[in-house]
Order: sequence, then structure tokens, then C-alpha cells
Amino acid sequence: MPALTEPKVGGPPPITPLPPRRGGGNNGDDNGQGRRPSAEASGSMVRIAVYIGMCASTMTFAALASAMVVRRGLNPTDWHRLPVPPLLWINTLALILSSIVLDMAGRAFRAGDRPKFRKLWLAGTALGTWFLVGQAINWTFLAQNGFYLRQNPASAFFYVLTWAHAAHVIGAIGGLYYVTYRMMATPAIPMNRNVLEVSVIFWHFLDIMWLLLMAIFVFWA
Amino acid sequence: METQTLTPRPSLFRRVFSTDHRTIARQYFFLSIFAVITGVCLSLLMRYHLVWPHEKVRWFEAIWSVRAEGGIMTEELYLSLMTLHGTIMVFFVLTLAPLNAFSNLVLPEQLGRREMAFPRLNMLSFWITLVSFLTLLASCVLDEGGPIAGWTAYPPLSAVGAVSGPGEGLGQTLWFVSIGIFCIGSLLAAMNIISTVIECRRPGMSLMQMPLTCWNWFVTSILSVLSFPVLLAAGLLILLDRLVGTSFFVPGDLLIAEQHNPHAGGSPLLWQHLFWFFGHPEVYIAILPGMGIVSHIISNFSRRAPFSYRACVWAPVAIAFLGMLVWGHHMFISGISPYSALTFSLVTMSIGAPSAVLVLNWLGTTFRAARLEFPTAMLFCLGFVSLFVTGGLTGLYLGQPEIDAYFHDTAFVVAHFHMIMGMAALFAVFAATFYWFPLMFGRMLNERLGKLHFYLTFIGAYALFLPMHFAGFAGNPRRYADFTNFDFLQAVMPLQHWITMTAFALGAVQLIFIWNLFSSIWRGAPATANPWSGSTLEWNPDGEISTLGPYSYSNSGSETN
Ligand code: HEM
Ligand SMILES: [Cu+2]
Repeated sequence: MPALTEPKVGGPPPITPLPPRRGGGNNGDDNGQGRRPSAEASGSMVRIAVYIGMCASTMTFAALASAMVVRRGLNPTDWHRLPVPPLLWINTLALILSSIVLDMAGRAFRAGDRPKFRKLWLAGTALGTWFLVGQAINWTFLAQNGFYLRQNPASAFFYVLTWAHAAHVIGAIGGLYYVTYRMMATPAIPMNRNVLEVSVIFWHFLDIMWLLLMAIFVFWA
Repeated sequence: METQTLTPRPSLFRRVFSTDHRTIARQYFFLSIFAVITGVCLSLLMRYHLVWPHEKVRWFEAIWSVRAEGGIMTEELYLSLMTLHGTIMVFFVLTLAPLNAFSNLVLPEQLGRREMAFPRLNMLSFWITLVSFLTLLASCVLDEGGPIAGWTAYPPLSAVGAVSGPGEGLGQTLWFVSIGIFCIGSLLAAMNIISTVIECRRPGMSLMQMPLTCWNWFVTSILSVLSFPVLLAAGLLILLDRLVGTSFFVPGDLLIAEQHNPHAGGSPLLWQHLFWFFGHPEVYIAILPGMGIVSHIISNFSRRAPFSYRACVWAPVAIAFLGMLVWGHHMFISGISPYSALTFSLVTMSIGAPSAVLVLNWLGTTFRAARLEFPTAMLFCLGFVSLFVTGGLTGLYLGQPEIDAYFHDTAFVVAHFHMIMGMAALFAVFAATFYWFPLMFGRMLNERLGKLHFYLTFIGAYALFLPMHFAGFAGNPRRYADFTNFDFLQAVMPLQHWITMTAFALGAVQLIFIWNLFSSIWRGAPATANPWSGSTLEWNPDGEISTLGPYSYSNSGSETN
């Protein structure tokens, strides 16, 4: 909070010029009508929005995780721990790798190395997709082995947390695919850096969130 | 002021699905006007039933052929009216009007801009909210009746489905879905407000140069981002309990309507924790924007800067912070440990300190006023201060576990939150409506009708809710459809009649406002660019940012900015 209270500009200038109408910003896509005062401002705006979204997601997961703690604390008798399915480790690995590779892709993009960016981005997106598919396989695997949502609170919370995470991943993968689409279908048009950057930031966030969930599953639940 | 928007008229589609922040403000405003009218009508039906439960009313039967057979409301019908009333008022009136409607109206201009950060997201938030509202209404028009679990929807009865009563089947499910959708709409709106405040200020507009309204909308939106996700998560879990048969909130061995309930092992207390972790911040989401509005307007009509601008910034921040830590005061008698009750109690009481700072600030601003003016907007602000003090003081009683053991679930609590939330927060909405009406419709509201409406409403508010505290003293329970046949409450019945009478009178008085509103939209006196000689930029969007702060009224009293 303290950082927010620092004035953005050294001191208020005596006369401040009025921005053009609709100068406040845009939705992150440049529609070429002069709505964006500068690419920089809009980029930071989109980033802030994503950070706020991350706060909201964190609160959702925190609520679910504390519900888990309270539910178990209030009634430990019907809590039957769920063995961590082996596939989960492979999914985790895929997610970590995808995060690293996408980050490298972002760096390559900023360095202007287009071919490297394309290769890394495709690899990262593929790994991300793998994670999601792996999760789906994992749910069917669990169900086949008799772990259902209703069966006991530990498995109920396992499903709820992994579903909530997967719902986020679906949204984030939408972002990755969008960048991929732009990269493949319209390579001539300069890429919107904001979408690329916030997709990577959000992906890292989901990666960290997943590691926290894994820690809960492995050590506690 | 409107010159820029008077250029060619956009298509109907563009005007309905508008990304213009003022249009969206009007949409939110009318949604909450519609909601508040509905909510008031529901409350009058409830008040009628409470004192004349056995009186036959033919048209009840015409509306609810099954649930008011022979013109007599069933108790379930009463409870469903109560649930709808609470939900509408808390979510669709007190969250939407002060926060979303008025921030959309003036926030960008107050920051020296013309747009919210994400206009399309803004539009989306409104339409999502509207879907949520329609879902809520849908939950009540089903044949089986509307949900009856109250706005807090406590399990186990809210989580076990149709066995727990009429309206508890699909109706209650739709209720949870509606609230879930509402969470998403509110989150998107909060995201927009925060981004706008952080990133869209005109260069030179430092945070400490923002009008206090902006500060309060900013802080409120942070509260939204921290609390709505928790309600969303809780709603998700309870929907699973209802639809899939998990047991997050439902304990085992329940016998409901003579049927053994299959759930086992869940905890209703878990819901209370999650719900109130959202619920208490939510009541501050309802009141903080009002505090900003009141600081702003009192300053305007005292023609001076707030007594202490800094205090008016940091007190709401402190209130919001503490407000995140007090949810347990709703659970004093739910069986929480006395030690946590003590902790929650101490933190709860400490909210009194920043609240007092604010009240003293408002009074200080008026005492040191350069020149006091009393248009209707100012009167409503002063009314707010009065009601806020009255309602806040009873909060200090309820915040003590020993006293709350007696008062919990009595009319005293109802009086407390109607004083502070039902009345104070609504007074801030009235004040804002009178003050910013020129920016909404280019016209003025009628001041004479406005003042008449204010005085009658102010008297009505006290006449209605002060006696309700005494009913609480007498142990009058809350959320009962009928207490005419309790011996110990016979002495309270005359009081209850008085409350019902004043409720109808207060409701009738609101017609003055409704008339004023709708006649002024079309026939009000045209507004000048800056009718209140305000110093902030919403009145003068092309103006400079004063280095003296947003409320730089020079003491000669003849300036415009
Ligand atoms: C110093 C300030 C306040 C204190 C100490 C306080 C304390 C309390 C306490 C202890 C309760 C629980 C009573 C019970 O259920 O037995 C309560 C209920 C309530 N308060 Fe406050 N309060 C304060 C301010 C506010 C404000 C500012 C609002 C809203 C704008 C508010 C709205 C409510 C509502 C809606 C309830 C009832 C919830 C329900 O059970 O349906 N309170 N308050
Ligand atoms: Cu509270």
C-alpha cells in the first residue's frame, strides 16, 4: 500500500493538458482510433487488471483451502487421505516446464528473436495443453479407482481444488492460444505485447498456485 | 458539459449496450431504483403480515393462489418475501447504487479523465449483474415458491434441497447461482475501478489529490476483490452439497421433515465463517462509498476543505482493514470459543475509533465552514451523519459477546442494521442523487420536494427504527413470520403496530422522491455546468488540477473552482 501513495509525477504541473476524449485507455487491443495515449500506459493498465484478477483468484483458493482446514479440523473422523496419483507428478512437471519455456519465449520476443520465440512459444503452449489433458485423465483415473466427489471430504476437496485450478488454466490457455493464433495466422501484423506479457504472468501465477496445491495434497490432505 | 456527447446519435443497440461510463451509471442507477421499489413493497407486505397475520387479503390470493390461499399468507411465503427483500436490498441496492452507479458517473472526470480504464469490461459487469438480478427474480416466481433461507442462507437447511421446505429446491439453487453471478459482476466492476484509480489519473493528480469519493470507491473495490471471491467459493461448495450430495456444510444424522438425511460429517459453522468473512466486508462495501459521498458533499456546502483530508482518507482505509478481521462477531452464539469471541469483540470495538474520527471530521468541517448551505443533498448528508452515529452505537453493544448473547437474532439487530445500512447508506444515495443529478440528466431535482422528502424521511427513519430497538429489548425474535400468539410478546404488539404504521407512512413518503425523480428527468429545471459551485473536476472536466488539493474553496465564497 505505501508505494501507492507516492505521487506518480514529481509535482503537479501548473497547467495539465487534457487528454483526448476516450484517452483513458482501452481493452488492451489496439483498434487504431487513437484511443490509446501510449502503448506503455495501456500495457501497465492491462497488467494491473491481471494482478487484481490474481488477487481475486488467490482469495478464492485461500477460501477453499481454509474451508478444507476447517472442515477437517471440525470433523477429523471421516477424513480419508487420498493417495497422490502418480500422474499428478508428471502433470506438475509439464506445468513447471511450460512456465519456464513460456518465460524464455517472452524473453526471446523482447530480444526480437522471432524464430526462437515461435519455437519456444509453441512448445510452452503444448506443455500447457498437456497439463490440462493430464488433469482430465487423472480425474477419470481416480474415478475408475473408486475416488468420487461424494465419497469423503478429502477427495471432495481434491476435486474442487483441481477443478477450480483447471477452470483458471482453461482461461489462461485461451490467452496462450490467442497469441499462437496471432503468431501463426497474421505474422505480418505486429504482436500485441500486452496480451503476450499478461498471459505469461498469469501462467506463472497458476504454476505457483498449482505447486501450493500439490504441497497441500502431498503433505497434508 | 455534454457538448462532446451531443454529436450524432448512436444506434439504439449502441445506446443499450453502451460502453459510455455515464450510460452505464444510469443503467446501474435504474436497476437499483427498480430493486429498491421492489424491496420496499416486499417489506410492506411483511410488515402487514407481522401485525395482521390472520387478516384475509383477497389480492394476496390473486397473486399467490397456493401460498396465500384464502388471502392469508403462509409462513413460507412470509419467509420467501423476507429472503427476497434482504437479498435485493443488500446486493442490488446497497452494493450497486453507492458503488457502481455513482463511481461510473463521476470517477473518470474526478480523476481528470473521460473514461474508465476498461469500458467494455464495464459494460460486461453491468449486464452480468442484470443477469444475476433476473436469476434472483426467477428463483421466486416458481410454483413451489421462492427460497426461504434468508439473505445469509445458513445451512444445513439451505443445503439439503427440497425436503427443507417449499422454495428450498430449485428456488434456493437459483438463489445461489444468482449470488455467484453477482460476485463475478462485482469483481469485474471492482477490477475496473481499481485500475482506473491506479492508472488513469491525469498527470498531476496524485493519490492524495483525489477527491474523497475516489478514495472510498478505491478502498471499497479492494474490499470487493478480497471478499467476493470467498462468497463465490462458499457458493460453489454449497451448490455441490445441494446438487451432488457432498457434505461440506451438512452434519450427519439429521432428521429433516421426518426423513433421515444422507449427508454426514459437514459443518454448518464452516458456512458461517465463509459467509461472514464476506458478509462483514460486504456491509462496509455498502457504507464506505456513502462515507466518501458525504465527505465530498459536506465539504462542497461548507465551502471549505474537509477538516482533515488525510484523516478522511486513512479512516476508511483503517475501517476497511479492520472490517476484514471481525466476521466472528456474527457468530458469538454459534459456539465459537470464548477466546476467539473476545478477540473478535476487541477488533470489532476498535472499528469505533476510525468511525468516530470520520464523524468528528464531518462535524468539524461544518463547524469551521466558510459559509454553510443547506440544499437537499447537504441535508441528506447531515441526516447520514446522525443515522450513522445512532446505528454505529448499537453496533458497539452487539459487539460484546455477553450482550449479544441476549440480542442476537432479536429485533435489536434488525434495528441496528436498518439504522446504519437501510437508512444511513440510503441517505448517502439520496444525497448523491440530488448532488449529481445534473450530471446524470442535465437537469435539477426539485429542491422544495426534495426538502419535504428529506424531513419526512428523516423523521420516519427514527420513528420506525428507534422503537424497534425496544422490541429487541423485550426479546422479540427476528425472522419469525408470526409472533401474535406469544404471551411474552403481547406487550410489544402495540409497538409492532406503530412500526407497521410508520413503515407504510415512510413508504408513502418515498413516492415524493419517485415523483420528483421521474418528473425532473424530463421536466426539471435545466442545470448549469456547475450548479453547486463545486471545486472538483466532475463539474469542470477541462479545468486544471489545483495544487491546493481537490477541495480548494477559497474562503471568499464566490469562486467556482
Ligand atoms: C462500529 C460499527 C459496528 C459494529 C460494532 C457492528 C457490530 C455488529 C454486530 C456485533 C452484529 C451481529 C449481531 C448479531 O447478529 O447478533 C452486527 C450485525 C449487522 N451489522 Fe453491524 N456493526 C457496525 C457497523 C455496521 C455497519 C457500518 C453496517 C452496514 C452498513 C452494519 C451492518 C450490519 C448488518 C447487515 C448486520 C446483520 C447481519 C444479519 O445477521 O443479517 N453494521 N453488527
Ligand atoms: Cu459484521
